[in-house]
Amino acid sequence: MTGDVLDSVAELQAFVKGHRRIHVVGKRSKTALHQVEADVALADLSGMTGITEYQPQEYTLTVLAGTGLSEIQAALHEEGQYLPFDPLLPDHGSIGGAVACNLSGSRRHRYGGIRDFILGASVVDGLGRTFRVGGKVVKNAAGFDLSKFLVGSLGQYAIMTELTFKVFPDAPVFQGLRLQYESLDDALNAVFRCNRSTQELDLLDFAPWERGWSLMAGLAGFQDTLPQRAKQFVAMMREETALLDATEVEGDGSLRDPLAGLTGDFLVKVVISPRQIAGFDARVRDIGRRYSAGGNSAWLATDDIGALKKILEAEQLPGLVLRGSVDCPLIGKSPENLLAARVKQVLDPHNKLV
Amino acid sequence: MNRSFFEALRSIYPDDRLLTRDVELLPYESDALTAFQTKPGAVALPIDEEEIIDTVRLCHRMKVPFVARGSGTSLSGGSLPIADGLMIGLNRLNRIKKIDPEQRIAVVEPGVINLHITEAVRQYGLYYAPDPSSQSICTIGGNIAFNSGGAHCLKYGMTSNHVLGMKVVLADGVVTQFGSESIEGVGIGPDLVGLFVGSEGLFGIALEITLRLMPTPQLYRTVMAAYDNLGRAGDAVSMVVASGLLPGAMEIMDRLAIKAAEASVGAGYPLDAEALLIVELEGEALQVEAEFAELRGVIEESGAFEIREAKDEDERARIWQGRKSAFSAVGRLSPDYIVQDGVVPRSRLGEALVKIGELKAQYQLDVANVFHAGDGNLHPLILYNGREPGALEKAEALAGEILAMCVDLGGSITGEHGVGMEKREYLPTMFSPVEMEIMRDLRRAIDPEEIANRGKMFPSGEAPALQMRGMHPLERQGVISRE
Repeated sequence: MTGDVLDSVAELQAFVKGHRRIHVVGKRSKTALHQVEADVALADLSGMTGITEYQPQEYTLTVLAGTGLSEIQAALHEEGQYLPFDPLLPDHGSIGGAVACNLSGSRRHRYGGIRDFILGASVVDGLGRTFRVGGKVVKNAAGFDLSKFLVGSLGQYAIMTELTFKVFPDAPVFQGLRLQYESLDDALNAVFRCNRSTQELDLLDFAPWERGWSLMAGLAGFQDTLPQRAKQFVAMMREETALLDATEVEGDGSLRDPLAGLTGDFLVKVVISPRQIAGFDARVRDIGRRYSAGGNSAWLATDDIGALKKILEAEQLPGLVLRGSVDCPLIGKSPENLLAARVKQVLDPHNKLV
Repeated sequence: MNRSFFEALRSIYPDDRLLTRDVELLPYESDALTAFQTKPGAVALPIDEEEIIDTVRLCHRMKVPFVARGSGTSLSGGSLPIADGLMIGLNRLNRIKKIDPEQRIAVVEPGVINLHITEAVRQYGLYYAPDPSSQSICTIGGNIAFNSGGAHCLKYGMTSNHVLGMKVVLADGVVTQFGSESIEGVGIGPDLVGLFVGSEGLFGIALEITLRLMPTPQLYRTVMAAYDNLGRAGDAVSMVVASGLLPGAMEIMDRLAIKAAEASVGAGYPLDAEALLIVELEGEALQVEAEFAELRGVIEESGAFEIREAKDEDERARIWQGRKSAFSAVGRLSPDYIVQDGVVPRSRLGEALVKIGELKAQYQLDVANVFHAGDGNLHPLILYNGREPGALEKAEALAGEILAMCVDLGGSITGEHGVGMEKREYLPTMFSPVEMEIMRDLRRAIDPEEIANRGKMFPSGEAPALQMRGMHPLERQGVISRE
């Protein structure tokens, strides 16, 4: 599957105007999203790369949509800053893809997801118009906030060419902890205990592990205080939850990567709330899975996407297939479409962007 | 407003919840932007979402414009009535329908007062983060319409960042729901919550809102530093940022604001300061103490001639009381004032303040400055006497120049108050003709009759008469302020 590599906004505008149906690709790290019909022209933005404006003292970063996440993270790291939404697939994906699919990693637990850090974007819409949405400063309440609307929009309303984010200073040190529980109930109760606590966790994921469940927690801060904070946290969990064992994890381990160890032909993101997990998990026991951000999203890897689709439909949960071959990457509960359709009517009335 | 519309309204509302007499309509003629006033045709006071939906559908069918209003604390004139239109007062929908501390969420109706949420969840060690200065009376519905902020936005964002899900009635009567109880909100598909929040009431009315709650910080550490010029205070902000610290709030006040606040509440501010910087750290106690040691070093190096640390919660409260009362305090020095809400890149704060100083001299008007320095959000307060012919126009012209400057410096015409009535003529200075056209098309796609909050946000809409009214009564009492 090849597409036209478009290096400039002008080329992209001409491409949109010259084709009837268009699908956008970047680094193609999410294969399930690019199963399109033969008459759909591929607009390849992988050549539209580079950091166009980075002002560490402003906490703002503007990048072209095809820029690799690793390049961005390296530039931020040099200044002691980071993207607090912790984009998924940092070694393979582009920033445009992360926004279009709304894919945050585990450290989004501390400050929020992509919607909380996107400030603005330049786009080309389905009519080939180029324009800017949002702003470039950390605070702005002028006009309709279409930049947030684009998060998760899968490139079907407008094509993002440049994006501006709020960035934060990163903590000097990160401490990972693995806490073991006998059952999902125990692990969930531990998550609820964390949510009632004033301890500020950078990461709070859980997944089946050996014969029980593993709760993965992360603290970030100064070297001097981190050991004591970690000790306090473990003491609280030992006292108030059914903790079996707690170990410190050296370095990052696999703690920060919610996809670590998930194998299967299909990789799926599911939006879920902690209270929905017990019921849902009972139906996906044979599937590799990890619950992330305090149980507010789930990553599942399976060879049987049909079965998972039925489960999501029954549980009324929305899912997005990222890897594997599917007719439509959206499975389970459909996203709201009444208001979204009105936006589509304005930005892409001829339904070009698919 | 024609008779058949009234009759239809009467089938929805009993007499005591449908206000039509002049004396009943008087309180609704204006909002916190008191320079404008007009009389609505009627005021409806629904008590549940069905009544709101029925009302919006009726308005759409009969093409009657409506304005949804909470407590009317909008500083941009966003909840001003439309002449002969319907005002829908939402204060009676004030139920907190659900609190789930273990998921850190609350589900509320639009008329719930911002601070009441924190009061209701405090027992669980949680709070609702957005803290506009009017938080003791402003409603969540209004916060959603204008994406309200406050002093602590840099770290945790504005209203939009704390709304996870919504049920809304669009302006044409269609009811729809988006988002979830997950912290991901919409999560999959376009972020409709993000689009709806901040739409200034032009898309419809929020009926039910799911909010994200935050853990109450274990510890706050607050420091106040006095400088002999504004530039030094601005430089201190840059130094704090460069140090890698992430304060919850960084605020600056200038001499006039300091004096007024001190006279008003006796916060203990140094009266010989040209500028005062307040920096607050918050979070886990061990981490905050370590950060505070670093912050102390930065502030000591910043050229402050006096540094004062809040030793306990009372001292912290006093520091903030002075800051939060600054605008109403300055307002008492003058019969009238206008406050602006522009944003500039933080590194250009100094430049912006110099320019404001020049404009102040040029227009021969007093301007006090209080601003959220952490996010570059300026609140210049322009003092004038509205009884002098042409004074309001002159103050507005100065305000307009300040907004133009913000845009020129790469910022925004509004950081947290919204465009509303007040800044609608300036929206095109921020957005290109194509962007304006797209926003107008979007509005019409969602509200074909353009009945929801007609005349707001876009230039050249219908407008209430511009008149001189002085301070809002609640402002005089110090209950609300324009910051």
